[in-house]
Amino acid sequence: MESLTDTLWDVVICGTGLQQSLLALALSRSDKKVLHIDPNDFYGDAEAAFSLQEVESWVEKVEAGKEGLFRAASVEKPEGDTGLSFPRAYSLALAPQLIHARSTLLSQLVSSRAYRQVEFLAVGSFSIFKPSPDPSQNPTLVRIPSTREDVFSTTAISAKAKRGLMKFLKFVLDYDSTPQTDTWQPHADAPLAEFLLKEFKMDEELQTYIITLTLSLDGKINTRDGLAVIRRHLSSMGMYGPGFAALYPKWGGLSEIAQVSCRASAVGGAVYMLGTGVKMMNDQEDPIVVELTSGDTIKTRKVVRSNEGATDESSINRLVAVVGSSLKSLFESTVEGAPTPAVAIVAFPAGSLSTTAGEASQSPVYLSVHSGDTGECPANQSILYFTTVSEPTSQDLLQRALYSFLAAVAGETVPQCLYKLQYKQLRSSLQSQPNGLIFDFAPPASSLAFDDSTLQSVHDAWKMVLGDDAVEEEYLTFTDREGAMDDDEIYD
Amino acid sequence: MASDDTLPTLKVLLIGPSGAGKSALLTRYCDDEFDPETSAATIGIDFKERFRTLSTSFYRGAHGVLLVYDISTRASFLSMERWFNEAEANTVEGVALYLVGAKLDKADGPDGGREVTTEEGQALAEAHGAKFCEASAKTRENVRLPFVDIVDKIVQTPGLIQNARLGRAAGAVALGTNNGSGGYGAYLPGGCSC
Repeated sequence: MESLTDTLWDVVICGTGLQQSLLALALSRSDKKVLHIDPNDFYGDAEAAFSLQEVESWVEKVEAGKEGLFRAASVEKPEGDTGLSFPRAYSLALAPQLIHARSTLLSQLVSSRAYRQVEFLAVGSFSIFKPSPDPSQNPTLVRIPSTREDVFSTTAISAKAKRGLMKFLKFVLDYDSTPQTDTWQPHADAPLAEFLLKEFKMDEELQTYIITLTLSLDGKINTRDGLAVIRRHLSSMGMYGPGFAALYPKWGGLSEIAQVSCRASAVGGAVYMLGTGVKMMNDQEDPIVVELTSGDTIKTRKVVRSNEGATDESSINRLVAVVGSSLKSLFESTVEGAPTPAVAIVAFPAGSLSTTAGEASQSPVYLSVHSGDTGECPANQSILYFTTVSEPTSQDLLQRALYSFLAAVAGETVPQCLYKLQYKQLRSSLQSQPNGLIFDFAPPASSLAFDDSTLQSVHDAWKMVLGDDAVEEEYLTFTDREGAMDDDEIYD
Repeated sequence: MASDDTLPTLKVLLIGPSGAGKSALLTRYCDDEFDPETSAATIGIDFKERFRTLSTSFYRGAHGVLLVYDISTRASFLSMERWFNEAEANTVEGVALYLVGAKLDKADGPDGGREVTTEEGQALAEAHGAKFCEASAKTRENVRLPFVDIVDKIVQTPGLIQNARLGRAAGAVALGTNNGSGGYGAYLPGGCSC
């Protein structure tokens, strides 16, 4: 077996987040010698998914300042018999992004054959949280109509509002051609909500419906980006089946895609070492000399890593809660022949929540509810992933969102919260870029839906590593390996 | 594929140090073939095994694990404790474990023969609640036994099949033109461009 230190590596990839892992997948049929390392002892970096045991050691590392992008992590669970199952029955995703059916990520997973190892589930309804005007009544959830059939059949909005909504849905499907462009381009940089009011006379409630479909974290998405995102949503609807626009990979979202990509890369001959990072690097020499934290010193032509430089002052707060109910009503398919959704989205518009001190929320809070079908929790429980942009009161607001949501879905009893994980994730405006023989990936985005621009940097890194050997048509386009049909996982 | 509804699919993994004979055992069991010249490492995964970096996704939904070592290599046996730990850490409670001492044909062979006694193998298996046998892919001896026994053990363990939760959920969505897609209620639009 070849030795680590005697080999001249073509590339050392540091980190097993989605971008690095997709790069490893892209290189898996090349003859390049790939060494893929990660200072963590788990796959997936900021996109990892953890059992409850793993959460605990991760929280310790965050608190010791050893998890670059994360801050202020804590776990809360009631004492004694909490109704929690065994720790490995859970797989909590740090970044549970949904993937639109039109995303290039899906077509690349198909063309690279990696999709055979991943199971995809449907993302179902999008709803809005509505506080009750009467404090003695429970708040409610209102489903957002997002197809023409939905708009026709909904009883939640007036006939006049229906006409406005229909007009908008028609407009947005073809928004990028004339004469539609004349309508929106003057408003391109203005908030989408303003545009909806001016051009479509939408009231605040309808604006909220549309803004929610964009999953804009601060709710202030501009018209240009907003229309693009809404179009992506609507054109994804029905692509893989009736009644849903987005998918979610079972067992922890992007973490599974990262792991499956790394496995494909290992099958292609790459060498994997977890718990090993770069200690020192001399990139003034060619080949680059890298001293690993394992003590080995190796030589490589290129290095790909994640940019761990300065991050922005902005961040998001997350709250992950395990609840002791399957929350069945949220996962009913609304269209005939539709698969049972495993994920449902709920938005708490700005102003719909208030802090303990009585201040109204300034930004929306988003909730992604995952059923036991995701494999992230036992079948009779569900996982709630709350996200909001960080403000001084965010932690308090997320707790309020949790208990308001539980009240809204309460039947005869209010579902119990069995476990809570909270943390803060820093955002960054850094760009992915090549720098001589090194390629730096930007930190992963904190958006709630997968953003295809991530894939461009993977492609750039692939071109940088392969240089003249890069054949554009072969990028992530592979045939099945012999014996690697979908249920023969034993071979890989 | 027509029997998807009635027959559960079981997922059984073969793990163990590189060169232990996992692929040979599997090939003999599935295809009744043995090629003494094939000694190439099952590429990739072999390296992942070398650095102990198999991903948790590799273990997803496993009902049983066959842990394989080479009875003619002491070092391969000595690594089994760690393999047990990894398998136990990444699978559900009640997962069926089976320890296999492979290359039984080498027991009295010319190159030093056996380096691990049957009793040692038996004791290690018992310590982890696993069943045990020695087998040879070359002579076919006991090749079927671990596969048959582990399936028996899986089906006799209450709740294991539900716990592992392998298999398509009602909401599974098919991408691409997967030949198994008929069975789980997914909908493929005719114009799917992927």
